Amino acid sequence: MTEKACTRCKRITSDERCPVCNVPASTNWSGLLIIIDPEKSDIARELDIKLPGEYALRVR
Amino acid sequence: MEDSKNSIYALKTSVGQEKNVARMLARKVRDSGIEINAILVPESLRGYILVESSSKIDMRNPAIRVPHLRGVVEGKTEGESKIEFEEVKRFLKPEPIISSIKKGSIVELISGPFKGERAKVIRIDESREEVVLELIEAAVPIPVTVKGDQIRIIQKEAD
Repeated sequence: MTEKACTRCKRITSDERCPVCNVPASTNWSGLLIIIDPEKSDIARELDIKLPGEYALRVR
Repeated sequence: MEDSKNSIYALKTSVGQEKNVARMLARKVRDSGIEINAILVPESLRGYILVESSSKIDMRNPAIRVPHLRGVVEGKTEGESKIEFEEVKRFLKPEPIISSIKKGSIVELISGPFKGERAKVIRIDESREEVVLELIEAAVPIPVTVKGDQIRIIQKEAD
């Protein structure tokens, strides 16, 4: 099972397509960001992340 | 941006275990309710992770104990372990390496069959993040196309 990152929202998933945006996910990603509480997090606000979960920092 | 009382702390981890530590810590946070809002693992920081929390990270708290987590990076004086949000911003939007490469730059290949060889950049494909190189030590100049993450810049400017 390889981890993939959504090319639009950068969310990390094991599926071929992002479960949130339904766009193809890429295996070429780097950096990891875990958002636990998007409402309280400044980082989530800066990157406009609304859902908790794991995100990549860079996706190609 | 509105003011908040969140602070960012750097935690020291074993090198190569940054992502594992982040995931284990995230699980612990969800189970125990420690006040951590986000965990950041920048690729460029080896052996460290950054944690956004609204309360001070105390390593004596058993709930935060995770294998491979070595401790909080402390400043010179007590309570100086915070990192400014402005400093963290550059990790959030990492600039592709390729944007700092110019035609004529000297680079070293860091992976692939030509690992360790030096080469000169002859063309840059920014949209595909590829560069076309010419190996310096090769007797016959053959263009080699590699991905931007397979090279390291040695000399930025052309001679």
